[in-house]
Amino acid sequence: MIAQLFGYLRDHSVALKWIFFAYLAFTLVFDFFAERHHAHFWGDHIIGFWTLFGIFGCLGMIVVFKGLSHVWLMKGEDYYDE
Amino acid sequence: MMSNTIFMHPATYFLIGAVLLPFANRLKLQKVLLLVVPLLAFYQIHHLPASFGVCHFMGFELTFGRVDKLTYVFLHVFTLMALIGSIYGLHVKESGQHMAAFLYVAGSLGTTLAGDYLTLFIFWELMAFASVFLVWYRKRKRSIEAGYRYLLVHTTGGLILLAGIFLRYQNIHDLTFTRIAVDGATTADYLIMIGFMLNAAVPPIHAWLPDAYPEATVTGAVYMCAFTTKTAVYVLARGFPGFTALAILGAIMTVYGVAYAVIENDARRILAYHIVSQVGYMVCGVGIGTAMAVNGACAHAYAHILYKALLFMGVGSVLEMTGKSKLNELGGLYKYMPWSLVFTVIGGIAISGFPLTSGFISKSMIIAAAGVDHRVFIMLMLSLAAVGTFLSVGIKLPYFIWFGNDSGVKAKESYWNMQLGMFIAAFMCIFLGIYPEYLYKMLPYPVTWHPYTSYHLSETFQLLGFTGLGFYLMVKKLKPEPKSNLDLDWFYRKGARVFMWVASKPIGAANDWVGEVYRTVGYRFTLAVARALSWFDWEGIDWVLDGSAKGVVKGGDELRTLQTGKIQHYIGGAAVALCIVLIIVVLI
Repeated sequence: MIAQLFGYLRDHSVALKWIFFAYLAFTLVFDFFAERHHAHFWGDHIIGFWTLFGIFGCLGMIVVFKGLSHVWLMKGEDYYDE
Repeated sequence: MMSNTIFMHPATYFLIGAVLLPFANRLKLQKVLLLVVPLLAFYQIHHLPASFGVCHFMGFELTFGRVDKLTYVFLHVFTLMALIGSIYGLHVKESGQHMAAFLYVAGSLGTTLAGDYLTLFIFWELMAFASVFLVWYRKRKRSIEAGYRYLLVHTTGGLILLAGIFLRYQNIHDLTFTRIAVDGATTADYLIMIGFMLNAAVPPIHAWLPDAYPEATVTGAVYMCAFTTKTAVYVLARGFPGFTALAILGAIMTVYGVAYAVIENDARRILAYHIVSQVGYMVCGVGIGTAMAVNGACAHAYAHILYKALLFMGVGSVLEMTGKSKLNELGGLYKYMPWSLVFTVIGGIAISGFPLTSGFISKSMIIAAAGVDHRVFIMLMLSLAAVGTFLSVGIKLPYFIWFGNDSGVKAKESYWNMQLGMFIAAFMCIFLGIYPEYLYKMLPYPVTWHPYTSYHLSETFQLLGFTGLGFYLMVKKLKPEPKSNLDLDWFYRKGARVFMWVASKPIGAANDWVGEVYRTVGYRFTLAVARALSWFDWEGIDWVLDGSAKGVVKGGDELRTLQTGKIQHYIGGAAVALCIVLIIVVLI
């Protein structure tokens, strides 16, 4: 039964995508109203700081770590058995 | 009195349980024992006095039980985890695996309760030696090799720790295990710290963890991910709070572990690397050393044990049912193992720190403690690792196992006991998120932190939401590849090869050469000397001692004819001889 639910959701991935984008918009709106009494550093005063941190942190990590892996670290699975 | 003290110690139950397990298996009571032992221990830890089991041994005072709030929170989660692990492994018939797990838990509990370095060391080593069997019981060639490497690394760490303990004793003649002041730390203390750091998998001495854990048995990995590193976090929190080196290394760990979790392919290796990242938060919290940071480290250890075990259980279920754990070989399993998916995703969102899960109320404490202490760079590194956590474990892992491209792998849902174990862990993840006071009141210092503020919620919403967007944009780039990545274990895995080459080529050749020289020169020389000595002995000394050697040889020949080679004759002869001796003794 629960598998059918997942299947149903998977079939409606377009709708899910728009719900997800709506959620992203909501987080930005929410940040306008968040209380900033206990700011630890300058970034805490900027509205949307964590949005930028999240998206650029994520993309940056994928690019840098995947890049490092491809040019240097990646070896065959039995590299040590040879 | 003494037996009371012994049964006061929760490790005792696991030690006795380990001994009884094979018998219980024959009597078909193994499952009962597997449940009773952790339950008894979980009950027992609530009734411990502040100090017990103090005894004197060879001039040392050993303290087997020292209990305060810091001990309690770790004992609580360790015994709870032992129960969950036992339930998850109920279907395993081999007693050996359960024995290893019980001894491992006993080692962990013993270390946590130890009040002096000697007791600590004994249980510390018990942990290493018991846990390696959880790797070996997988019985594959790779597991056996990985187990040996694991054992060698931990033995080295143990020796460093022991060296520190000896030096410390030489310096101050005191082995009590207490907090070490940052200003007064000596070489001995730093050696002890390095020994602890090895078990906490702090880079550059971390590679044993992602090497061994993915090769462990399905149930073994569930235990291993919980005990070794978190026991190390406990001893660091006990002995070394406030050491800035730990704060910096911890922050590096969080990003280092996540980096590998992003690029690895084997699901259990991803989770293993992610332990490095998560333990980094705790090590960092200990290193910051304020009350809030140490609280955060303990809270995070508690929460982490449950959700990381949950993730290992979820991925372990897939491995158990399909025999596969590599992401590139899996996909589309949501049709067959939906409940494992639900539980794994709960573990994934908890580890990512979603609101209403345990990660949200524990991780944030450490990050905020870094902020309060004005360590902005560390704080940003921890936040970056949180992004990577959601990316690698929260989304990538479940996506490529249960969704992604349909791999054609078909499987049944995992056994009921596995699902029950996952359910309890998943329940705790959400329970702690909704009711954080349950955990907060166990922490060593009073808690003033409130996780559910609007700003913290807003920060989390954005971080997680836009990490999700990043995954959505880059999902093709993250497609799993059947590869593995180099790490610092390269040095000893390839280094061992250099050692073997040196041993077999130059040293072997030198050995052969020496052997040849010996055979041609030494052997003949020895023979000549022996002949000379023999002649001297036979003719020279015997001549001095009036022919006695020749007489003994002659007597021996006669005695030989008395020997029949039958055992009853020998026993009879011995009995007669004994009687004669007795008679002589009595008469005299």
